[in-house]
Amino acid sequence: MSDHRKNPLAKRPEILLIEDDPQIRRFVKAMLTAEDYRLHEAAAGEDGIAQAAARNPDLVLLDLGLPDVDGIDVIREIRQWSQIPIVVLSARGQERDKIKALDAGADDYVSKPFAPGEVSARIRASLRRAAVLDKNDAAETVNFGNISVNLAARRVLVGGSEVHVTPNEYKLLQVLLRHAGKVVTQRQLLKLVWGPEHLEEPQYLRVFMGQLRRKLEADPAHPKHLITEPGIGYRLLTEC
Amino acid sequence: MKSQDKPLEDKPAVPWWQYGAALIVVAVCTFIAVSLRSYLAAANLVMIYLIGVVGVSAKFHRRVALFTSVLSVAAFDFFCVPHYFSFAVADSEYLITLAVMLAVALLISGMTSRIRLQEAVAAEREARVETETMRTSLLSAVSHDIRTPLTSISGAAATLRSHWDRLDKNTRDELLGSVTDESERLSRLLNNLLEVTRLESGVHLHKGWFPLEEIVGAALHRVERQIAGRPVLANIPADLPMVAIDDVLMEQVFINLVENALKYAPESTPIEILARNQNSIVEVEVLDRGPGFAPGHESRVFDKFFRGRSDKIRGAGLGLAICRAIIEAHGGSIRAENRTDGGAIIHFDIPLGDSPSELDSATRRQS
Repeated sequence: MSDHRKNPLAKRPEILLIEDDPQIRRFVKAMLTAEDYRLHEAAAGEDGIAQAAARNPDLVLLDLGLPDVDGIDVIREIRQWSQIPIVVLSARGQERDKIKALDAGADDYVSKPFAPGEVSARIRASLRRAAVLDKNDAAETVNFGNISVNLAARRVLVGGSEVHVTPNEYKLLQVLLRHAGKVVTQRQLLKLVWGPEHLEEPQYLRVFMGQLRRKLEADPAHPKHLITEPGIGYRLLTEC
Repeated sequence: MKSQDKPLEDKPAVPWWQYGAALIVVAVCTFIAVSLRSYLAAANLVMIYLIGVVGVSAKFHRRVALFTSVLSVAAFDFFCVPHYFSFAVADSEYLITLAVMLAVALLISGMTSRIRLQEAVAAEREARVETETMRTSLLSAVSHDIRTPLTSISGAAATLRSHWDRLDKNTRDELLGSVTDESERLSRLLNNLLEVTRLESGVHLHKGWFPLEEIVGAALHRVERQIAGRPVLANIPADLPMVAIDDVLMEQVFINLVENALKYAPESTPIEILARNQNSIVEVEVLDRGPGFAPGHESRVFDKFFRGRSDKIRGAGLGLAICRAIIEAHGGSIRAENRTDGGAIIHFDIPLGDSPSELDSATRRQS
């Protein structure tokens, strides 16, 4: 269920799809229209940037392989004046491009070919995050699975009993929570948790992530929340 | 399939060391000849040099062989023909010896080079034929695997389009389901093919230090939909050191192995993933309770396009070939076994990796 459908007063979210392939545009349009989004289309990067400025959509769905402009440049351009969520469409295996897109300010990515429901799940997650950021009053407690994080008291409960997390582990969890549902690149995490001088030490990140998993996950080798995206970064899933 | 990289005709640059080696060969021949020159006739000393010429022509470039021939004649004249240590010749009879020696040496070097050239050409032709056969078998395997899902997709879509109103909802759902399933299958096949081709043309590993647990976790998350609640037990000791691996490729290994186990083993049976550190080598096992491997298939299952129990379960036979390529690129090995009490084991090991030069390139790849 999309959030916006529960509230009849909310306006239908507008999505701008920047994609050069007409077949993909056709089915994404059919899919999103059926899910009650309003869709605008752009077949090229320049037109996409222009429409993003003119229409001010709620979310941009951007194909990285455009004929006229590099998709990364489209992200940079839009980011100069807007923080609207950008979800990138990219071929599987092109990790480098995805990292570049995320570091340039994209919110998330979907690998082509998409699994059913993947695009709308990513769109929903990004829109929800944007809505939370807009309200600007983060909840005091966040609950997911059997985990409960009290942001004011910096306490973490698993199955009702308190779990001790070190300051760095908490910081890591906090950053992931702030971007819940969205992939955060290794580089972004290192920068936000340990500071820009530790960008070249991803092993630390992996050690801390392993420790956090052991504290929060029932089976750390089969995690439900703290998900690794190999070659890219990490994602905190708060709904399963 | 690469043709041999031997120095053949018309290559402009002959490595300088070949000339050096030829020089040494002539020096050795001279040493032997000089030590024997009081016992043997000059004509027999020539033979020693000719052996050197044959040796050099068999191994090195034609120009080096030519150089050896001329040098041998000069050395023979200088050291073995009276007056010794002079190019002057005491008896004019020796002029004939020298001329014949030069002629024979040139002939030998020329012939040897030609034989080598022919050998190389033959080897190349053979390699080309082999590539051709492989390409043909690859094409036939792939075209069959592509045609089958394409037939279902276009058939289902065409049926839906022309008979939409006459089909009941269940049939429509079924046909639509086969369109999505078969396209997913096509895309998987294509990914696997690309992967195999890429791996075969030489893998460049982006190694970093990773906890194996994290890689297994990522792989299990990726196949969550196929797992669909089936019991998958990962037993990875918490004190297992980090391993120097390419995370993206190693995730693929686990995905392929778990997918195989899910495909072949009955739904209620558990799939296990075990890992341990054995003298700086990480040993990993993926075990299932499926039918196991047919006798004699244990080593062949890693061959490209080899399908184990192919009638019931579909696939292109690339998954394990990909695993082997990745494991071997990591300096490890992989093998298949049957469990004594029923089921299959895939066992692989990879070195932990301790060289500082292998330190994390995962960050470098981001820049």
